[in-house]
Amino acid sequence: MIELERDALTFSFPEVHPQATLRIEFQRTLRIPDDDRTYPLPPGLGAFPMRHVDDHAANVPSKWLQRGGVMLPMYQSEAMWLNFSASTIQDRGESYPFAIKVATGKQCAVSGEAWRDDLRRKPQNYMIAPQQPWLDGYVVEKGLIRQFVAMPLGAGYSAEEQITGKAEHGGLQLAVYPMKRDIFERRFPKVSEVKRSRGSAFLEGDDAGIHCCLSAEFDMALAPGGRMRQEIFDDPFELDDWNLDAGGRCFVHLCNSMVWQSITGTVPPHPAPTAKSYTAAGLPWFDYYDDSGTAVEGTSVLGNLKSITQMSSEKGDVALPENETVTPGNLVVYRKGLKQGQVRESVF
Amino acid sequence: MGCVVYSTRMSDFGDYLRKVREQRRAGDAKFSVRQLAARVGVEPSYLSKVERGQQAPPSEKTIAALASELGEDPDVLLALAGKVSGDLQAIIRRRPKLFADLIRQFKDLPDHAVLRLVREVRDGDW
Repeated sequence: MIELERDALTFSFPEVHPQATLRIEFQRTLRIPDDDRTYPLPPGLGAFPMRHVDDHAANVPSKWLQRGGVMLPMYQSEAMWLNFSASTIQDRGESYPFAIKVATGKQCAVSGEAWRDDLRRKPQNYMIAPQQPWLDGYVVEKGLIRQFVAMPLGAGYSAEEQITGKAEHGGLQLAVYPMKRDIFERRFPKVSEVKRSRGSAFLEGDDAGIHCCLSAEFDMALAPGGRMRQEIFDDPFELDDWNLDAGGRCFVHLCNSMVWQSITGTVPPHPAPTAKSYTAAGLPWFDYYDDSGTAVEGTSVLGNLKSITQMSSEKGDVALPENETVTPGNLVVYRKGLKQGQVRESVF
Repeated sequence: MGCVVYSTRMSDFGDYLRKVREQRRAGDAKFSVRQLAARVGVEPSYLSKVERGQQAPPSEKTIAALASELGEDPDVLLALAGKVSGDLQAIIRRRPKLFADLIRQFKDLPDHAVLRLVREVRDGDW
């Protein structure tokens, strides 16, 4: 069951476990410079507003209604990251494990392969919560991602267009699978039964014409921006531990912020500050370390993607304004062990 | 899920607020009356009086700030204060007959039956 609650998607699986719930929030953030440097994690500047596409059926392209799901507004060249928060199971003192698939334009952001309704181990096409607290972009190599940055669908920059040569889907696609309950209960015994330390538990364990035109104006797609340090962790469980029969999936349409108000009657958030002004104000950047897991390697499909700046210089264009290199000074380091629902956030 | 019914006596809000704040304070000194009041933008003496039921509950904005600081649900705190959030009022005002009928019909429905009415995100073809 997927619900939209306070601008976040809540995936719950009462048929598997009454407390098995994963919350996914889409965080606004500043765009890191797309240059030859590697940056730490930028802050969360609050959640994007989200709406059911069905609530605005008269104003959205028919294709969006056909796909169902939700929508959120993004400005061109705006960045985002996804925050994952798994519920804690009371009698176990552990978060329920979930496998999470994230794709943009129906191309997997972890493996680069085309969307498929299952999980695959080699290359791994999913992440696991709670070990993976967030995802900021495309996994281009081990320990490195390229930030999710919005560009108009059809402009040629998106990962989808670079990989498939087509501007067909745009948006962002999610699927979530819970761990099978018997496996969870075996791997994570009740707290009173635990003899080892809690910290080690995880390791062991169409009206074609007009709507096509409209859609092109409405649809944003995600493209690879600047480089960032971020590990995507290898699944320490067995592939068969995941309950593929109980999964839920959702299409998240990325609506151009310039038309959001005409669709919903509400004003989109202000554009995020630039990396330069944020850094100059002495506000924090973040790093996250979890020594208990190993990172996936990344695939050549995503490793070969060109960043927006690389593509735009080839075109003789300037796609990313205010792209000056910055040197983050105020760095906050998180070790494994975030509180439930913790978001790296800053006041601006 | 158990059915929780919230009453709205003036002191209920204060009692609940003090209980939750004291629980948080046991683990973190930043939940003292003085520090919490500073973070939500009110005088400590005012917050203290609210907790003791000597002052009416604060504005919706302050209650939302208290809920955020204390990790509580803002709608629950508002209900204890005898208030309904502005966004819910706006929803009802837009279609008053429809929502008034709906709420009256569902007022005695058990929690599990109400939960069956929860709106899911619709998945389509893609």
